[in-house]
Amino acid sequence: MSEDIQVLIDDVVAKALAGDMDPINNIEDRVTRSKAKAALVKAKRSQPETEIKSKDSEVSEHSDVKAKDTIEHIVIASLTKNFSNFLDGEQNGEWIQMKPENWFDIAKHLKENEDLYFDSLQCNTGFDLEGGMLESRYNLHSMKHLHAIEIRIKVSIENPNIPSVESLWRVADWFERETYDMFGINFTGHRDLRRILLPEDWEGWPLRKNYEEQETYHGIVVPKVKEGWE
Amino acid sequence: MGVVHGQEMVLNIGPQHPATHGVLRLQVKTDGEVISEITPYLGYLHRCFEKHCENVTYEQVIPFTDRCDYLASMTMNFGYVVAVEKLMDIKVNDRVQHIRVIMAELQRIASHLLATGVFGLDLGAFTPFLHMLRDRERIIDLFEMTCGARLLYNYMWVGGLSHDLPKGFVEATLNFLDYFEPKIDEFENLLGHNKIFVERTADIGIMPAEVAINFGVTGPNLRASGVNWDLRKDDPYSIYDKFDFNVPVGQGIKGTVGDSWDRFYVRLQEIRESVKIVRQAIDQLPKDGDVHQSMPKKIRPPKGSIYSRTESPRGDLGYYIESDGSDTPSRLKMRSPAFTALGVLDEIAGGWLMSDVLAILGSLDIVLGEIDR
Repeated sequence: MSEDIQVLIDDVVAKALAGDMDPINNIEDRVTRSKAKAALVKAKRSQPETEIKSKDSEVSEHSDVKAKDTIEHIVIASLTKNFSNFLDGEQNGEWIQMKPENWFDIAKHLKENEDLYFDSLQCNTGFDLEGGMLESRYNLHSMKHLHAIEIRIKVSIENPNIPSVESLWRVADWFERETYDMFGINFTGHRDLRRILLPEDWEGWPLRKNYEEQETYHGIVVPKVKEGWE
Repeated sequence: MGVVHGQEMVLNIGPQHPATHGVLRLQVKTDGEVISEITPYLGYLHRCFEKHCENVTYEQVIPFTDRCDYLASMTMNFGYVVAVEKLMDIKVNDRVQHIRVIMAELQRIASHLLATGVFGLDLGAFTPFLHMLRDRERIIDLFEMTCGARLLYNYMWVGGLSHDLPKGFVEATLNFLDYFEPKIDEFENLLGHNKIFVERTADIGIMPAEVAINFGVTGPNLRASGVNWDLRKDDPYSIYDKFDFNVPVGQGIKGTVGDSWDRFYVRLQEIRESVKIVRQAIDQLPKDGDVHQSMPKKIRPPKGSIYSRTESPRGDLGYYIESDGSDTPSRLKMRSPAFTALGVLDEIAGGWLMSDVLAILGSLDIVLGEIDR
């Protein structure tokens, strides 16, 4: 590592510790940027009071809240303050059923709100509800507060559009591509929505319940699943 | 270090390339030796795991999970049976729990041995690979002794195990551990402190903690970035809360926190911790208990869904199961840890040299069977 880069890194790390993250994020070269971010983590760890993960104190701080109410109620209460008309039908307390319209803004709130802080998207599952409805399910988890929720968004099979959240949680990039690949749910605003596991010229959405294989693929006959297959 | 914009060239690494650990194609944009962009193309090993699962009964899914991550089949079985047991609310007895933990941790050692060995091999170090495979072989012999299979075990069943431990297993395992423990230091000296290896991996492919969390990277790769997160400690399943072990995290001993060397070193330290867990589990292993005791006659979980996570050698292995009350799952999704680990490759490997990209890919320890499913 050359010396002027080291000087630059020390400089931006000092600024970031003072609370200004812009200089780090503005570094053009991504290698230098990642080195600077790594140096920041190291610097933060040497200051125990600003540790990234102070799990024990967080848990004790929030355990009294948890005892009173389930996390689903807390999330709904927090969202109701900022958004209106986002719930889809009756809630059963095990998951939150939402409408697709302002999902991106809600997701942003879930990720950035200090009390919720769902920093990790665990899983995105597509689902065919049959009867002309598809569903996208998100399992969110907070590594800071150690709580988790499931969010379900229902769309019709004729108009399967859900706002993409891949710019919030980058892991959603590939998760959404997979759900698109298997169910044909269209994630609007995704930077690169292509098939991921199947070939690009494959026809149909394989995990829908009424899926039928195409007859031939590049001149090769596609074998059909036999009746009573075991 | 700076990116020079000259004439760019598009190159394909793979699909058949020894350093891609399976059938994976990386389309890279290069400018001379410097890589500016990497686009992975997956799906060459896609075997329709999730679609098959909708057509078979819950028991018949277990052999399919074996074939997803073929280097850690025991932990794949483990994750699945834990999920179904949670869905059906089955409690299994202590002997089964202990045997499962012993198997899962032996499997973790075997998987990490292969991961670190092949990582060295990617960088041209042939000898450590042979040493590690030699010892992995002895673990596989233990598995063969238990259930007859060497790679794809189908050993953990919903509510129990396929076989009880055979006679002499405990002694053989203890013998192996006594033989193996000093070898870990040998591996560390042989590979970890080798000057060429350090030069090739330290400060290369740094993954900062917030990048790792945002990209959903889990397991040893996340811990190497300095985040103390292990499901065995933080969200204990089975009986992991009974054991005393540490969670090694990356410290940047040779370079920066979260570099390729840290990812190697965390795996090596995890082998030590797994040895500790196996010893404790053998020590506490209850003498009696039928391994088929809690097995249901017919597996028909009640209507409902579950998302359950376990710690596989590659990270958070999640199963999302939706049951409609029949004996086949209505939807089964596997959240594969290697899938998310590969997703971060472009972010951390862009800007490095061609030879470094292969080192970074090796340090992520991906298994294509699990990525493509």
